[in-house]
Amino acid sequence: MTAVEHGRAGAALAWRRAALVGLGFGAGALHLAAVGVLLMLHQRWIVIDTLSLGQATVLLLAGGAGAMAARDADARLARGALAGLCATLPLALLSLAMDAVTLQPIFIVLTPDLQAMLTLGMPPLLAAPALLLVGVAAGLLGAALRAIPALSRALLPGAIAVLIAGVFQELIQLMLQQYEGPVGEARDFVYTWEGLTQQGAVTVFVVVTLIAQLAGRAARGRVAAMEPARRRQIWAGIALAAIVILPAAAGSYIGQVLMLVGLYILMGIGLNLEVGLAGLLDLGFVAFFAVGAYSTALLTADAPNALMHLSYWAAMPISVLLAVCVGVLFGLPVLGVRGDYLAVATMGLGEIVRVIVLSDFGAPLLGGAQGVLHIPKPQIGSYTLSSPVALFYLTLVAAAIAAFIAWRLENSRLGRAWMALRDDEDVAQALGINLVRSKLLAYGLGAAFAGLAGSIFATMLSSVYPSSFQLLISINVLALIIVGGMGSLPGVVLGSVVLIGLPELLREFGEYRYLFYGAVLVVMMRLRPEGLWPSDVRQRELHAGDETAALDAGADLLPARE
Amino acid sequence: MKTPTRSRMPERMTGFRMPESMTRSRTLRRILLATTLATTALAVARPAPANAAQTLGPVTDEIGVIRIPKNAPIQIGGMWVLSGADTALGLDEKRGVELAFKTVGGKLLGHPLKLNAEDDQCNAEGGQTAATKLAANPQTVVVLGPACSSVATPGAPILWQAGIVDIGTACTAPALTAPNRGPQYAGFVRTVFSDSEQGKADATYAREGLKAATVVTVHDGSPYAQQLQQVMADNFTKLGGKVLSQEAVSPNDVDMHPLLTKIASEKPDLIYFPLFTAAAAQVLRQAKETPGLEKTVLLGGGSLASAAFIEAAGPSVVGFRIGYPDISADAMGKDYPNFVAEYKKTYNEGPISGYHANAYDGAMLAMKAIEKVAKTDSAGNLYIGKKALRDAIFDTKFEGISGPIACDANGQCAQFKPSVLEFTSADPKTYDLGKNPKKIWPK
Amino acid sequence: MSGAQLARSQPRISVGRVSPVDIVLWSLRILVLFVVFAGTIGAIVKDRYTAAQWFDFVMFGLTIGAIYAQIALGYTMVYGVLRLINFAHGDIVMCGAFAGYFVASPLDRSGFLTDHPVIGMAAILAVAVATSTGIALLTERIAYRPFRRVAGSGPLIAAIGVSFFLEQTFRGMFGSSVKSYPAPAWQRSTFEVWGFNVPRIDVLVIGLAIVFMAGLYLIVQRTKMGTAMRAVAEDAEAAALMGIDVNKVVVFTFVLGGAMAGIAGVFYAFVYKQVYFFMGFTPGIKAFGAAVLGGIGSIPGAMIGGVFLGLVESVGPSLFLDGLGIPAPYQLRDLIAFTLLIMVLIFRPNGIFGERMAKQRA
Repeated sequence: MTAVEHGRAGAALAWRRAALVGLGFGAGALHLAAVGVLLMLHQRWIVIDTLSLGQATVLLLAGGAGAMAARDADARLARGALAGLCATLPLALLSLAMDAVTLQPIFIVLTPDLQAMLTLGMPPLLAAPALLLVGVAAGLLGAALRAIPALSRALLPGAIAVLIAGVFQELIQLMLQQYEGPVGEARDFVYTWEGLTQQGAVTVFVVVTLIAQLAGRAARGRVAAMEPARRRQIWAGIALAAIVILPAAAGSYIGQVLMLVGLYILMGIGLNLEVGLAGLLDLGFVAFFAVGAYSTALLTADAPNALMHLSYWAAMPISVLLAVCVGVLFGLPVLGVRGDYLAVATMGLGEIVRVIVLSDFGAPLLGGAQGVLHIPKPQIGSYTLSSPVALFYLTLVAAAIAAFIAWRLENSRLGRAWMALRDDEDVAQALGINLVRSKLLAYGLGAAFAGLAGSIFATMLSSVYPSSFQLLISINVLALIIVGGMGSLPGVVLGSVVLIGLPELLREFGEYRYLFYGAVLVVMMRLRPEGLWPSDVRQRELHAGDETAALDAGADLLPARE
Repeated sequence: MKTPTRSRMPERMTGFRMPESMTRSRTLRRILLATTLATTALAVARPAPANAAQTLGPVTDEIGVIRIPKNAPIQIGGMWVLSGADTALGLDEKRGVELAFKTVGGKLLGHPLKLNAEDDQCNAEGGQTAATKLAANPQTVVVLGPACSSVATPGAPILWQAGIVDIGTACTAPALTAPNRGPQYAGFVRTVFSDSEQGKADATYAREGLKAATVVTVHDGSPYAQQLQQVMADNFTKLGGKVLSQEAVSPNDVDMHPLLTKIASEKPDLIYFPLFTAAAAQVLRQAKETPGLEKTVLLGGGSLASAAFIEAAGPSVVGFRIGYPDISADAMGKDYPNFVAEYKKTYNEGPISGYHANAYDGAMLAMKAIEKVAKTDSAGNLYIGKKALRDAIFDTKFEGISGPIACDANGQCAQFKPSVLEFTSADPKTYDLGKNPKKIWPK
Repeated sequence: MSGAQLARSQPRISVGRVSPVDIVLWSLRILVLFVVFAGTIGAIVKDRYTAAQWFDFVMFGLTIGAIYAQIALGYTMVYGVLRLINFAHGDIVMCGAFAGYFVASPLDRSGFLTDHPVIGMAAILAVAVATSTGIALLTERIAYRPFRRVAGSGPLIAAIGVSFFLEQTFRGMFGSSVKSYPAPAWQRSTFEVWGFNVPRIDVLVIGLAIVFMAGLYLIVQRTKMGTAMRAVAEDAEAAALMGIDVNKVVVFTFVLGGAMAGIAGVFYAFVYKQVYFFMGFTPGIKAFGAAVLGGIGSIPGAMIGGVFLGLVESVGPSLFLDGLGIPAPYQLRDLIAFTLLIMVLIFRPNGIFGERMAKQRA
């Protein structure tokens, strides 16, 4: 085969790949249309009377396909255009199909409204080519942005800022609304009640572009000179500062959301001890959370079935202690169970706790379906911690203490024993590690943090209901530590913010919360199986894995588990 | 694997690691200091809390005034369950409110009406977050909803703390409007009846209408069903009947046969199961196949008055009865048929659940009260006093489409008239409150 | 410092002595045995149910058990080959049930299902099997294949993600309402065996389940592909070295699991008459429990485990709890199921039929 032929075959392959990438994105767009996401997004403006969120999504998908396809050196723009075309093709076909037959009796969201969005009111035979043309243009733009760094540096920051300002408009307005004066006027200039105004969008774009240009020139040299570890620390510092300051500045709603994030951080730290350090896969973690919440409720509430009427500060340590006891009791029977079997066993234990809490059998003590009401808020002197912001700081302090303890534990003898246990139980035992004690300590300490979270949860709600202690909580906590990065404390924080905080902030799209959640889990695990912020040890392990993978690439379809 | 070691030396004392950890601690310390300072500054500079006496424009109010600039919308909050299995319940109420806005042309006192509907997921933490979000918006005038009592319990106090009245549209727990409900619920009213009345009415029907001597109740662990069957059982006993047992299922159960076989062994005259759609449909369908229950009457609750239930239960729905507030033309407001027609026109389907009329009346109540207390200044800005609005809501009386609306001192605004409805057809398209199911009691 | 020093500083627990752990485990055993015996005696003393009613309990248990068993097969095969808890398997069952619904519903309305039950059922099953197999393969290709070399919990999380994604996709496309499966007259009839009434649909479901499972067993035991599957389950690397295309085996496994899920979905829907997006979750978890109960990786184990779990769920509350006078016993049905599961894991970590896997591998 000559070099020319070789090149031609390579080119054909690249064209095919561009088309496939486009069709992949197109399938995504079709899915979004079929489940109703596209229509819902279309009902939200980014820029009033100019661009809806749904339209922006289609453009982004086509542009993204263009950028993905433009990775080789030659014919970038053309391949980008092809990918853009392929990305809008499924939607165009859908539009034509909807014109030909009524699909609504089966697919309930394929409504005339969706058709109107796809066609912009034009007759379908005209609209479908128009849609494809838009796709080609977006694909071209995507490819151009990738091909010419200067162009993307000039356009992207502003565009992203407009997008963020549009998507989070409800939230930003809510934050700004408590301020009058110049802030209020700026808000009125940029936003109406439904989204960015046209002049607002232009202003945001121009301002952010300018800032990005200036700041970029100033900072590029310094940031690039820094070593990655240090850069990460600075980012962590900034993020931490934002978490601490934001509720005080942005008011109770952000406080409430961050408070939920904080509770999940607490639980995440606890579960991290069990799963991340000791390698005990636990899907029944919600049980400890429930124990903490119910103990606090029964010890403090002003309800007929309460056992005592202690103050919150007296009840909290007792709740934590009870959670530890339950954690140890929980750990005892499953000591000999390992790996995925342990996941199932613990899931069973968690469900047992939930069923008992809900049942009529336990109702005389636990309140059954009616839960426990009238739980008092904690008091410091005469000041009641009733606002979400105040409670957030309580959670923050608790999380900080928990993080400190976890950090010290990690480097302690117990922590090392846990890690040995995680890596190989039999070898750990041979090395003289007391398996029973180490495992029970992992359950007990993990439960302590969950119990603390439960205790704060109960006082936050002033009431506890059994419906708050579903299997889903255990799954959420496990997912957030894995997405964040197993065994890594900053990972837990990042995981909670992404998996708990973000959905709460985007409540208006709440109907599709779990669709996105599921998609994020799959995509995250594909792109970064080690998590967003992996611990150093873990990263090293995975990289070692990469090397062996490279060595035996021929057999790379083998299952590999520990 | 790592070898466990007793000392922590290697990581912490190795020479070359020192400088990095030192810079780290310095950076951290700096960030911490800045953070503390900023937090304190912000905490001090925060705007005053909402519920202090305030004068704005022409209005002075004990707990605060809302100023709505000229042409800006009047923002009304909403919280219902809008995701998950009970979506139809919440969506139906949201539509009721939207239709109420539509009847006044989407405008009130020259300002457009804007509904900020939040999903409360029908659980306590979802309700807390939704209520906090609505309360954080200083422009929220009043909140409509929720559908679930477990949402209202934590939600209403949060709203009232910000001086916002919450008008419950389907939350029926008796405690919410009980005389001892506590000052934190002073801002809560509801345009729906209380379970204590529904349960009593159902017990009365069972004893007097059906002449049943024995009953078995079934609930699904939801606060609604558990409470309702308890009230019903208590009243049934009081009226001289006998409660054979109080059973429970979980809402995702599909195999009700064993439970029904157990119930059949007790030979009750009546099974009372105010469950939600999926579980209720299973009980109904499987009860027809269970030997020993041929003569037993089945009675369900108001949450089943929906087309979705007919769809789920299939042919076995015909002849099935539910306890429900009286919706016949003479008991129901006279505008109800027009409302249903409008509903069908707007959403291309009949009402999908049972509480749209209550939600519609809740919205009407809010708008009437706003009209009473709102004042406009010369520049066209609108001012609403929060305490004044609360008092106006408690004072407003009118003929709603779900019946007369007039709040008592504890916020109970709906007058309850009992009735029992019977399904007449298994075709979900024929769902039409009053025809399918049609009223069979009181005659 | 060395391991030897550590060993000296921490005495190893000896197996022979009675430790606090043993005491707890023994009291647990005694407690469960007490509940079982006292409850059974109580139920016998109360004598509330007739023989026909006990027969019904068993029949209901066998029916749901047969369905659990079929779902459990999918879990057990995938786990055997990939060591992956396919958390989304219950949702694949849901996909099959939905696909079946869109065939069954028009067939029933046109009267075809009543006139030609065999052809009608075959068509419904074929569409359901095709759909669920297709979706199972898609999830394998998109979500699971990239993880073959990744150790740890990543794959489990991806599987959980797939589960949410499938549920919400179906909810978005077909709505969140509960749809009612048709019930042609021939399904509703009963016939009499030794004086007991037996619903025809139950017998059909149990019978067909046995036929399909036997077929599956033969495929795995007798065909070349089945042998390859068992080899991969035994030792994947060695199998690859012996020239077995592991990739093909995995695809084959998902085809078998998906097909069984589709069949189970249709049966489930025909017995319980409802389809909605969340319907797969609970039976999925239960069936996974059943697979573990029987010994995960073992095909007869999954069958026995499923039937056993179904029976315990159906009979248990009336036999054990009602006898003790516990209120609303059927609310505690899941408690019985999960207690059973945990007891099996504690005292027979390898399940009833399984190899010694829980303690050695995983």
